[in-house]
Amino acid sequence: MLLELKNIYKWVDQGGKRIFLLKDLSFKVEEGEFISIMGPSGSGKSTLLNVIGMLDDFQEGAYTFLDEQVHSMKDKNRSKLYKEYIGFVFQAYHLIDELTVYENIETPLLYKNVKSAERKALVADMLDRFNIVGKKDLFPSQLSGGQQQLVGVARALIAKPKLLLADEPTGNLNSAQSEEIMKLFKELNNEGVTIIQASHSESNAAYGSRIVKLLDGMVDNS
Amino acid sequence: MLKNYFKIAWRNIAANKLFTTLNIAGLAIGICVCIVLFAFVNNELSFDKMYSNSEHIYRVNMETSEEYNYETWPTLPNAVGPAVANEISQVKYMSRLIKDDFGSTASLKVGTRNFKEDGLYLADSALFDMFDFKFVESAGQNPFSRPNSVVISQSSKARLFGDENAIGRIITVNNNDSLEVSGIYEDLPKNSVIDCNMVYNILDSWMGTNEYWGNASYETYILLQPDANVAEVQSQATALIDKHVDKEEQYFTKFLLQPLTKIHLYSADIGEGYTSKLGSVGTVKSLLFLSILVLLIACVNYMNLATANSQKRSKSIGMNKVLGANKGQMLSLFYIETGILVLISIGIGYAVAFASLPVFQNITGNELAYADLLSLPILLSLLAIWVIVTIVAGSYPAISMSAISPLVLVKKTKTTYSVADFVRKGLVVFQFAASIILIIAVTVILQQMNYIRTKNLGYNPEGVVAVSVNSAETQTQIDNVIAAFKRQPNVESVTAVQSIPGANESGRSVRKLSTDNVGMPISSCNTTGGIVKTMQLDLLAGNDLPEHIAKGDSTNYTLINEKILTYLGFETPEDAVGKSINTELGDHSVVTGVVKNFNYKSLKEDVGGYMYYSGRYAPEGVRTVVLRYNSQNLSALIDQLQTTFNAHLPNVAFDYAFIDQHVAAFYASEEKTANTATAFSILAIFIACLGLFGLSAFTAEARTKEIGVRKVLGATVSGVVRLLTKDFLKLVLVAFLIAGPLAWWLMHNWLLDFAFRTEIKWWVFLFAGGMAVFIALLTISFQAIKAAIANPVKSLRTE
Repeated sequence: MLLELKNIYKWVDQGGKRIFLLKDLSFKVEEGEFISIMGPSGSGKSTLLNVIGMLDDFQEGAYTFLDEQVHSMKDKNRSKLYKEYIGFVFQAYHLIDELTVYENIETPLLYKNVKSAERKALVADMLDRFNIVGKKDLFPSQLSGGQQQLVGVARALIAKPKLLLADEPTGNLNSAQSEEIMKLFKELNNEGVTIIQASHSESNAAYGSRIVKLLDGMVDNS
Repeated sequence: MLKNYFKIAWRNIAANKLFTTLNIAGLAIGICVCIVLFAFVNNELSFDKMYSNSEHIYRVNMETSEEYNYETWPTLPNAVGPAVANEISQVKYMSRLIKDDFGSTASLKVGTRNFKEDGLYLADSALFDMFDFKFVESAGQNPFSRPNSVVISQSSKARLFGDENAIGRIITVNNNDSLEVSGIYEDLPKNSVIDCNMVYNILDSWMGTNEYWGNASYETYILLQPDANVAEVQSQATALIDKHVDKEEQYFTKFLLQPLTKIHLYSADIGEGYTSKLGSVGTVKSLLFLSILVLLIACVNYMNLATANSQKRSKSIGMNKVLGANKGQMLSLFYIETGILVLISIGIGYAVAFASLPVFQNITGNELAYADLLSLPILLSLLAIWVIVTIVAGSYPAISMSAISPLVLVKKTKTTYSVADFVRKGLVVFQFAASIILIIAVTVILQQMNYIRTKNLGYNPEGVVAVSVNSAETQTQIDNVIAAFKRQPNVESVTAVQSIPGANESGRSVRKLSTDNVGMPISSCNTTGGIVKTMQLDLLAGNDLPEHIAKGDSTNYTLINEKILTYLGFETPEDAVGKSINTELGDHSVVTGVVKNFNYKSLKEDVGGYMYYSGRYAPEGVRTVVLRYNSQNLSALIDQLQTTFNAHLPNVAFDYAFIDQHVAAFYASEEKTANTATAFSILAIFIACLGLFGLSAFTAEARTKEIGVRKVLGATVSGVVRLLTKDFLKLVLVAFLIAGPLAWWLMHNWLLDFAFRTEIKWWVFLFAGGMAVFIALLTISFQAIKAAIANPVKSLRTE
């Protein structure tokens, strides 16, 4: 088992009222799964991904990741954990504007203190694999949305994460580009990467091995 | 990793041109100002440190008694030096130092040519050992081995003798003493308070040989043994007073040793000595303060702009953190970015410093050489500026921005209120408060300067020229030249005087009764009559002093001011006219006239008792002819006077001065202060405007969407402009409330230095506040209008 969420509650107080973002949510992920989380706007998809990615915290419940108790960890150890095992892909790509394609992909390795020669080899492999060698010296603003997301995925994968979290990875893309990314995800999953993606689209969700439906912060089992 | 930081930092700098330009401009100006001022301060602090004995040389000053208001004087009776040297074993060498003829400009004659000289001194021969005089030529082992020897500096030698041999040549001083050149020394360093151009032996003059404990005119320098105890020497010296001077004649009570290295900067409260090289530690401190203020304002710009930019950058910071960066790594990135920017600014600032050196000299009147900018302390200070500015300007943005959470990537709403916003407002208030204080300060200083220039002094210094006749060979020559001047066209009246106002008057006392022990200390000035007419004094009663006094008349005719009148107890000016008074002048003194108090000294000082007198047997001579003219063509007038002068005094150098310029020189340092404060204020305000300009650009950008929505809903352009400027104007108002009282307090204290001063008027504050608002509006409105007239469709689409 890769991770388990047990009875997670997350809420915000707004205007004297308590609004639940996640409500008694329990959820298990095995290694090698490709899960699509679906649900209407505001159902808690992004919040769930952020909690799983340890970017956001929660008020109640237990979260176990690779046998570690995430909910009782210190911030520092928690961020160490996610940096080690989790890669993120965002709807808005979030490439670093000041860095080239090559440098964007290289950055996670720099923070992991990977040696220069090894970095070069890893980045070159990645560029090769994603067919973007010719674009390596371009800046994000010079790429199309689909190309940017490709770079975003490459960057998320460079540090060889066990888990890839993708929040509406195709939300800003046209259908051809979306399909390309989804095929890529499927391929990655076949190679052993666990993937959790949040999606609006039935067709994208269908790429997953399992679909989890959310409604008002709860798993909708109906 | 580090290489990568530099790369990212550099790209950030290069990417945001507006931000970078504003920051570099502000920082470069601030740094340029700092470098120039550090060079100035460094030069001021270097004074007299180059002498090998500098740490053991002291000037002996004395504290006077109640009669002279306990003032400290740097000049002593000529008997003090020898007594100190002979009777105190810890004193190794002693030299007295006095300018020829108590500081009057000397007229030198070499062959048939006349020269003016301001740097002719008399001293004991120990001076040369104490102050490392380096002789390049000399007639014998000891420069003063032969009587009437004089040693001269290399540049004086060049002036007087050109390329000719000078050793053994004769210089005639004031048509009186003949001195033989016995040595030539290297010019003394520029940063030396000892500023002799030529020195002759004080023991060749009565000044050195006739030792008195009376007349205090002699600066006295001593070199102590290396292990001497200064406090002990001081008390031993003070003990000499009781030993040598009768109790009732002691008008000084204490000797104080002032270290040589402190003379230049710390002599403001000490009376006037002979050196022309006095600085002021107050000036040094205030310039240092101002330069740091300017730099601080530039740092504030950086903080403001960098954090305003953080909304744009938060995404990349968050992403870096998701990709594995920790807080420390983000901190280094920001510090490197700041460091690079500051380094560029230092480069530019340093280059501009070289270019602006002449401007700096013009404004502050302080001389600096290019070499001063290259000295080691300055280069070290560049390094210090780099580190300190990077830390001061960079810390707040680095710390606040590196704390940005990766959640910014996933949160859909932006936080509207933040601590950064509050801090930014605080920084803007600081900048505006500083600017307002500077505007008020400059206005008050300029008002006071104007008050000084236009105040009725009680006499009219304009249209009067003073010609020195100090070196005349006979009284007849003086009488003849006066008579000749009177015949000149454009000359209204001519009078010979002992002193122009506030220069060389004699100090004496007037007493109510001849038996009184203590009187009122006054300044007295001998004249040949007609003084009321020439100086345009305000005669309250009686007559001008007589121009002719009958043979055998031993009366001293006096013209007293109101201060003396009041002291002597007369009810009205008319009462005093014709009365005898006790003046120490001679047996019989009579009041001829009474004049209104006039400011014979600077307006920083109160008016004291002043008396012009005229008598056949006057104890003092006349040194200067003052002459009132009514010509506009001054160069023709001076030519005409010089021709007349040379015809009657062929052996004297023609030396003249305009009295209004002499008066203006009283305020030279205030004039400098006014110029400097104005220049600094303009720079500070300009830098603050750069920051405000950038800030308003960011604000407008951050509110693009809001503006778009408002416009779609029907807001007018002017409404949007008002919306964007309102917030800044609120900050200006807060700044004004802080700055107003502070500025009032500062300037109130500054004005206390002047006995005669203007008041701080309410409209000054209104003016400063108005200026601040005006400048702020001017700066902001460009961005505000740009944002207001933009097409809302565009701004809404991009979101």
